[in-house]
Amino acid sequence: MPAVTQIVRLTVNGDLREVGVPMHFTLLEALRYGLGLTGSKQGCDKGDCGACTVILDGRPTLSCITPVFEAEGHAIVTVEGLADVEGPHPLQDAFDLHGAAQCGFCTPGILCSAAVLLEKTTSPSRTEIKEALSGNLCRCTGYSKIYDAVASAGQRLQVEAQLGESGR
Amino acid sequence: MAIIRDMIPAFELFQPTTVEDALVLLAEHGQGAWVLAGGLDSYDWFKDRIKRPEAVIDLGGIDELTGISDAQDGLEIGAMTTLTEIVRHERVRSEYTLLADAAEHVATPQIRNQGTLGGNISQDTRCWYYRSGWPCYRAGGNTCYAAAPQAMNREHAIMGTSRCVAVSPSDTAHALVALDAKMIVRGRRSSNVYDAEDFFIGPATDITRMTVLESGDLLTQINIPGEWANAHFYYEKVRDRGSWDFQLVSVAAAFKTSGNTIDDARIVVNGVAPFPVRLDAVERLVRGTSVDEAVAIEAGEIAIQGSHALKYNEYKQPMMSNLVRRAVRSVA
Amino acid sequence: MPELLGKDFTPPDIRGKVTGAAKYAEDFRMDGLLYCRLLTSPMPHARVLNIDLSKALGMEGVVDILTADEVPEQPGAATNILTNEPHFVGEPILAVAAVDETIAQNAIEAIKLDFEPLPFCVDPLESLRPGGPNAYLEGNAVVPRQGVQEFKWTAEDFEAAGEGELPMGEPTAEWSYGDLEAGFSEAVFTLDETFVTASNSHHSMEPRTALAYWENGKCHVRGSTQSQSFVVPGLANYIGIEPENVVYVAEYCGGGFGSKGSAYPTMAIPAHMSRKTGRPVLMRISRAEEYFLGSARPGFQGRIKMGFREDGRISAVDLYIVQESGSNGGGGDMGAAASSVSIVYTPLAMRYRGISVLTNTPPRGAQRGPGQNQIAMAVEPLLDKAARQLGIDLVAIRRINAPTNDSRYGANRQPVTSAHLRDALDIGAEQFAWQERRARSGQRDGSKIRAVAVGQAFHSAGSSGYDGLVRITPDGILHIHSGVGNLGTYSYASTSRVAAEVLKYDWDNCEIARGDSSLGLPWNLGQFGSNTSFTMTRTNYAAAMDTLSKLKEIAAMEFGGSAEDYDISGESVFNRSNPSRRMSYARAAQRAIELGGAYSGHTVPDDINPMTARAVAGLVDTGLIGVARDNMGQRGMVPALAVGFIEIELDVETGKVEILDYLGVADCGTVNHPQGLATQIKGGAVMGFGMACTERLIYDNVWGLPGSVGFYQAKPPSYLDVPSEMGWAAVNIADPQNPVGSKGIGEPVMGCSAAALLCAISEALGGHYFNRTPVVIDMIVNAHSGQPQSHTPLQVNTQ
Repeated sequence: MPAVTQIVRLTVNGDLREVGVPMHFTLLEALRYGLGLTGSKQGCDKGDCGACTVILDGRPTLSCITPVFEAEGHAIVTVEGLADVEGPHPLQDAFDLHGAAQCGFCTPGILCSAAVLLEKTTSPSRTEIKEALSGNLCRCTGYSKIYDAVASAGQRLQVEAQLGESGR
Repeated sequence: MAIIRDMIPAFELFQPTTVEDALVLLAEHGQGAWVLAGGLDSYDWFKDRIKRPEAVIDLGGIDELTGISDAQDGLEIGAMTTLTEIVRHERVRSEYTLLADAAEHVATPQIRNQGTLGGNISQDTRCWYYRSGWPCYRAGGNTCYAAAPQAMNREHAIMGTSRCVAVSPSDTAHALVALDAKMIVRGRRSSNVYDAEDFFIGPATDITRMTVLESGDLLTQINIPGEWANAHFYYEKVRDRGSWDFQLVSVAAAFKTSGNTIDDARIVVNGVAPFPVRLDAVERLVRGTSVDEAVAIEAGEIAIQGSHALKYNEYKQPMMSNLVRRAVRSVA
Repeated sequence: MPELLGKDFTPPDIRGKVTGAAKYAEDFRMDGLLYCRLLTSPMPHARVLNIDLSKALGMEGVVDILTADEVPEQPGAATNILTNEPHFVGEPILAVAAVDETIAQNAIEAIKLDFEPLPFCVDPLESLRPGGPNAYLEGNAVVPRQGVQEFKWTAEDFEAAGEGELPMGEPTAEWSYGDLEAGFSEAVFTLDETFVTASNSHHSMEPRTALAYWENGKCHVRGSTQSQSFVVPGLANYIGIEPENVVYVAEYCGGGFGSKGSAYPTMAIPAHMSRKTGRPVLMRISRAEEYFLGSARPGFQGRIKMGFREDGRISAVDLYIVQESGSNGGGGDMGAAASSVSIVYTPLAMRYRGISVLTNTPPRGAQRGPGQNQIAMAVEPLLDKAARQLGIDLVAIRRINAPTNDSRYGANRQPVTSAHLRDALDIGAEQFAWQERRARSGQRDGSKIRAVAVGQAFHSAGSSGYDGLVRITPDGILHIHSGVGNLGTYSYASTSRVAAEVLKYDWDNCEIARGDSSLGLPWNLGQFGSNTSFTMTRTNYAAAMDTLSKLKEIAAMEFGGSAEDYDISGESVFNRSNPSRRMSYARAAQRAIELGGAYSGHTVPDDINPMTARAVAGLVDTGLIGVARDNMGQRGMVPALAVGFIEIELDVETGKVEILDYLGVADCGTVNHPQGLATQIKGGAVMGFGMACTERLIYDNVWGLPGSVGFYQAKPPSYLDVPSEMGWAAVNIADPQNPVGSKGIGEPVMGCSAAALLCAISEALGGHYFNRTPVVIDMIVNAHSGQPQSHTPLQVNTQ
């Protein structure tokens, strides 16, 4: 069957973008090949490692097994969109500080999973971090630096929230 | 003949918004149609080009298939309800913890976010020979590679086999059988309700399918009757890794108890047969008894009677026995 | 006190990793890019009789097809770039380039191939039997200096072995030292054990994707390798060009663990395809292909006889290893394993024999602790078995056999630079509260048993004789040119800091040039073998010392006096007796350009590598050039030693092992980068846990089909399988042969954790020793239920 290219409209990192893709494309392929957003990685192609994790409507989602047309009309955040105008996401600074990225290939997916966790709670227990990140495989770090980084990013978010409140 | 991995061939994607439309599409495309739910099982097949549908019917846009609602007696769960929604649902958590537990044991958070209850129980087996695209009985061929004398069959079945020795991979199937769930299956012309126990079929019934679903059928809803709400539940899954792993053996059990006396029980094991195995004999044994270690041990022994190990899965016999023992023991 | 060394810092390349800006090989896009896919062998051994490309070449969007006839053939037992006689399932036969990946794959389906199936083998011992199958038409064993030969043992060899014992026919490698017979006769307790360690994959998160294009006669390659400069000669050879015509970019590598240390054949495919098509070519490797092509740790079928004196001292060791070497002959694991035994346990006498046998399974190669980590898993539990028998504490039996600075290594009884395993044991025992915890080892709660154990491992971790290159530009910036590579440990950066330390630089004024050979990178050893910390601190030290001399000379020329009269501070060079005579580095760099000669790279030392000379040639007159070969000399082997302490809880009814606590202790010389070391210890520990209990390659015995081609089948550990907190410590005693006291450590920190976990499992089961890895939960359940294991003792391919 010849591939039929269609236009799909994706809201990625706050921007509405149109991209022509074949109907069988996954969201990951659309991001990487269609939009040039190569931060999300193809680690296994089968939903097996979490390196392709993006945030879809606030949920960590495996873009390598999500049909791109299913993502139409939903808000997608990739690692490229974690930072905002005010600067890097606290997780990004914390990963830097704690050396929580080693080879870095799994890192974009881990950051997406962690960012969703910190949306829910800024003081996650180690068990909560463990559960939230358990769909992201990492071969280098032994995971423990990642716990430290996520916990410390949460603390910073807490402090920022408190400062924000006292400022009002 | 070439080994082809990880490159999806082109297909036509359909995104119906109603069950009616989905059924029309399924009928129209017949054997060439593929029902897409969360995508984990589907994309595995597609990317390896082993299953090659012409038309993929994506159920993701059908609102009526999602959500959990209170029924007069129990719960009604849309087949496309995600496992995460099930895990988080208040009544599931409080009254049907067995199902919440089971759903929480599926793969990873991301897969639970995408994966649906309907997809989890309808997924195909993970027999590695079959998944590699070998022409086995289940794939329409003339042999079972996994049952051969020297085959690597650690994950395979110790009971319920008939030519094929693959096991059901689902973490929720046996929980649904234990809860006596009802499956609503719609076809173009008729609608059927199956007991969960009958929904899963073995190779003796049809070697190419793992459920009653045939071409053109759609599993739309899973009803959990109130009968077993707030029962004493036990769920345990043994797997190699704590994340992203299929069960080696897993048990889901529901007990109605008074003190440590079991009034009624439904005990179901998965990972040991091509379908979830309800342990009638064990249920008979424990009904009306007050549980002590001796009963638990006997339950474990009875559970594996008639089982038959392959070359590499003898461990499943004691493992299954132990899990059933633990389930019964949990009542004491 | 050092200003930079021993302190944590934020490595410059981490920001790109957390923003998604870091570009791995698969992330590059170019105009006119073609996508390449591989047609790989469906059979473990076959000959391609006929290829019909006509239909595929006629498909819209298909640009070209590359076959084995168009690429250099690799001699001997090796993985070919492309081949018409594949030796394993998944070996590339041809490649298709098309405008997208789907079309390339469609074309592959349209290619008609006729194969002649050839005999194949998946078990080394079967291959050694008289009349057993050979993996190659030429034979089944890689004999040193003779290549692939047919090598069979006799029926008597097999009969001589008892039930479940490894037969020991003629080896292809052998060495010994000391009086073996005397050693065994001195022993009060002797073990003679057969063991098996299964092969396992590396599971690098990034598959080995590559992109290539040609420009002005040079081939530009973006690859996924641990190493940088070291890759270039091998890659040039695979492409068939001179190293100076390769521009190699490997700024980021998504993990390698030994499998991407050197150039590998498949990375040359896009280069050949690009030459043929005249367009840039990207070849993305899928996870399944990575399992086929990505190499794996060789498995061992081994036998060890160990004699113990009453005090636990090992008087003699007799070791035999049959190495499962896959389709390419594997690596030197078996010899490394033997040498490892010689240093970790310092037996008074030892003999080693080994044979490397080819099988029609994925190619083998170095994986983190190649040989040393397999043998740690095999021998450490046996040490516990002996300790039980002799009534000796588990730490004590290790302590009494541990090496010291005077110990000797391997066949040649080489000296060592420093060895502090005993200190590591002591530090760990104290920090882990060994005695206290041991008291509760064996305690049972329901079906759960607690166990406390210890494991050790070793790797030779340092090399010398490579080049250093640094440069001060007239803006005062220190550019440290590192050709070592970047596998993600940040050791390229921590070792670069040595140059900054020597020159008393503010780290903010330093930049590391790396990741792209066109930046002018020196000849360095690859980033593998735990060598970077030792080797690269030396090269950077050498280059910095050359820079320091030149700075002083330039200052002396400016202000008078001799170079010895000058010193440095605050990024300037000054006259010691008259500190007002001071010249900033920036100005010195400008002066160097004016002076020319060696100062700005017009001439280079005679002994540096041509690659370094070319790098300097490209940097001439850009500043003050410091370049030197590491001529500091090295006497003996550099031992990296590590100890792991573990506490587990094992559920005998389910086989589930929960790791409650882990402490890793490293003897890696002076700690240069604490954060990096901590991650090595913990990351290595987790890899070790996987190797010990879940990871292995499997194949169907009848069809040779590989059964572990996805993460969920090959099972590297997840977050839920390991403790969220683990401890680490270091002996932190300087190695005397390194200018900053450093030794490597990356590899033994994996072996010691694997060994510790295996020891703990055996301990929990009351002294049941499996003599096999991985110890999967089925084996635990079988052992506890008293039923036989499904595998035979010597079977290498098990589930």
